[in-house]
Amino acid sequence: MDVLSLDLLVVALRLATPVAFVALGELFSERAGIINIGVEGSALAGALIAGIVAHYSGSAWLALAAAVGIGMLLGFIHAIWCVYLRANHVVAGAAVNILVAGLALFLTVLVWDWRGRSASVVSLDPWILVWLLLVLVVVAQVFLFRTRWGLRLRVVGEHPQAADTAGINVYRTRVAYSVLTGALCGLAGAFLVNNLGRFTAGMVGGRGFIGIAAMVVGNYKPIPAFLAAYLFGFVDALQMRLQDVIPSEISMMLPYVLTVIVLAGFLGKANVPAALGKPYIKEQG
Amino acid sequence: MNERERSVRGEAVRMEGIVKRFPGVTANAGIDLSLNYGEVHGLLGENGAGKTVLMSVLYGLYRPSEGQIYLEGNPVSIDSPAVAIRAGIGMVHQHFMLVPRLTVADNMVVGWETSRGPFLDRKRIRKRIKELSEQYGLEVDPDSAVEELSVGEQQRVEILKALYRGAEVLILDEPTATLPEQEVEAFFTTIRAMRDEGKAMVFITHKLREALTICDRVTVLRKGEKVGTVPTTDATEAQLAEMMVGREVVFEVQRDRVASEGRPLLQVEGLSAVDDRNVPAVEGVDLTVHDHEILGVAGVQGNGQTELVEAICGLRSAVQGHVMLNGEAVTGSSPRKMAEAGLVHIPEDRHRRGLVLNFSVAENAILGRQYEAPFAIGHVGQSKRAIAGYARELVERFSVVVPGVRTPARALSGGNQQRVILARELDRKPKVIVAAQPTRGLDVAGIEFVWEQLLAMRREGAGILLVSMDLDELMTLADRLVVMYQGKLVGEHRPGETDKQQIGLLMLGGAVETS
Repeated sequence: MDVLSLDLLVVALRLATPVAFVALGELFSERAGIINIGVEGSALAGALIAGIVAHYSGSAWLALAAAVGIGMLLGFIHAIWCVYLRANHVVAGAAVNILVAGLALFLTVLVWDWRGRSASVVSLDPWILVWLLLVLVVVAQVFLFRTRWGLRLRVVGEHPQAADTAGINVYRTRVAYSVLTGALCGLAGAFLVNNLGRFTAGMVGGRGFIGIAAMVVGNYKPIPAFLAAYLFGFVDALQMRLQDVIPSEISMMLPYVLTVIVLAGFLGKANVPAALGKPYIKEQG
Repeated sequence: MNERERSVRGEAVRMEGIVKRFPGVTANAGIDLSLNYGEVHGLLGENGAGKTVLMSVLYGLYRPSEGQIYLEGNPVSIDSPAVAIRAGIGMVHQHFMLVPRLTVADNMVVGWETSRGPFLDRKRIRKRIKELSEQYGLEVDPDSAVEELSVGEQQRVEILKALYRGAEVLILDEPTATLPEQEVEAFFTTIRAMRDEGKAMVFITHKLREALTICDRVTVLRKGEKVGTVPTTDATEAQLAEMMVGREVVFEVQRDRVASEGRPLLQVEGLSAVDDRNVPAVEGVDLTVHDHEILGVAGVQGNGQTELVEAICGLRSAVQGHVMLNGEAVTGSSPRKMAEAGLVHIPEDRHRRGLVLNFSVAENAILGRQYEAPFAIGHVGQSKRAIAGYARELVERFSVVVPGVRTPARALSGGNQQRVILARELDRKPKVIVAAQPTRGLDVAGIEFVWEQLLAMRREGAGILLVSMDLDELMTLADRLVVMYQGKLVGEHRPGETDKQQIGLLMLGGAVETS
């Protein structure tokens, strides 16, 4: 069988989609100054809720909406922790990951009586979400660099005090974009369920974290972040083909090894928003 | 001129009985202020007098605890900068509110964008910026990144930013504090142009001479209270200083002529160093500091002074050249070795190099000596008691105003932080002191203190290398003066024999006159 073919590029796009959704989501948070490592858990929550809603309602569209909704809720909670309660962003995100991982096992038992996976559920054509992603990537690129709102977002993440003195509400901006991040993570989760036709607790499998990595490699810009995610998808697709040739234990490592290598090269070179991870404290309550 | 126009437009802002309390402090205790169109109103006071707080209230950053603000006679409540901007109030902050990575244009318009639908209208933005810069003689390139600009240019961007938002009332918070001396005159020209346009301006400063030069009226604050408002036409420096400090201030420094024995203490030969971006910053510098001598290094900021000081003190490796301390080669020694050999460093950045802000005053007081007895017990232990006792003694001797030695250094005022640093370094009885901008940002009392300490060390025989942006300070203190320009030392002068203009010219790279 021919390992390299046009088909490979198409499969790669599909494998890249959840990673790219998360990358795009993380981009908005971090541009506003919030680190959200809870994207892994938010995507899983999206998948879980999509599965449950599809199971009970029988509507794949309703499931999609629910996935986006739960993502937004988690993004909102994360923002409240980070912006108003000044929690450490990484700790708050880790909490979301742990919570959702536990919830996934618990709720699958409740709903399907299986630990960590669902029965098959109604699903949409996953290509709908792939196309949606492609549109969103382009819109995000234009939004960030060509619109007034994009400019404000960038200033909030770089120099919140400057934003504040320019009359921009830093807190509200941060909360809003954190919610947007959650919505995109929800889409990542919904894609996974629609792609497989069922939910499994391991289905995100680090793609949230790799989404963060893709965003860093893409230097906090939507289109480059998408391309980085696509690279991951490509290697993932490639390793599936290579399983015929080399042991799968080795080949499955490839996308992850690639991430480590690429990140090592890119970290430190990225234009990290200057106020990333730092709470903004207005001098007066 | 437009005396008539001024009276027509009349009073721009009136603040009545402004009180601003913070937990434990009253920063403003019932202050009245009136500001007219076509006026530059000086707001004068020492650090901590409440100048910035009062103006932050006007700009909507703080909500007043009591009091009322009137704009053109109408009572208003300004509870956010957005409201202030809409009301035509602009503020140029002491620490610029600019994003280094963004362009001048983006920085100027953010929050007040000219746009077509959701999209930024970059063409119209550029045109408007051009119009404004021509009108006020503030030249900037809208497309360059702010990080590439000099301090003076960044300030122009800040002023244009306020004007872009249609500011008629402009608050300038210590605008000359970071400005090189040569750019102050051009800046004043801009202010006068804006005044003639009828803008109302508040000029916050603690420099008396500037207040008298540029302001029409001056309001003096002291410890949160208003001392008075006087027209500058009949005010003198001495009078304003007395209002500010609450007692008579003597500006002359007792400089008893101590004859140097001519013994070189610090010798630097052919020293070269690179900056953080690996660009040559210091190129073949030779200098010698003798006993009982203050050698002043003048220059516009960013001409290699920082790198020179760091290379001498062992904080930056020298590419070439030697440093000799008391006849011994110490090039490339660690700062610890340097200090043990008798060279101490008063760093230009108190917060980054001088103190650990989150550590207590006591811990800061022994930084660099933590391994010495009695502070250290063996190789591991520390004697909290010895440290606290020593710190209390220093606090006493150097009159640091602090609730206790366990207070974190962060909580101290700039002047008291500098006292802690001086106390720590000077108590090591150094032979050589490298002082980089030791009075930057300090008020009158703080400056007086630092000067006295340095002169006392000189009297006792120390050699002092004094790097400063403040030419007046160098003229007052230095026995000899060299100018640093683009990494090289140009010309040597004796303050008594040269005038300021000549040195100012050298600082800008003017021709070296041979006399």
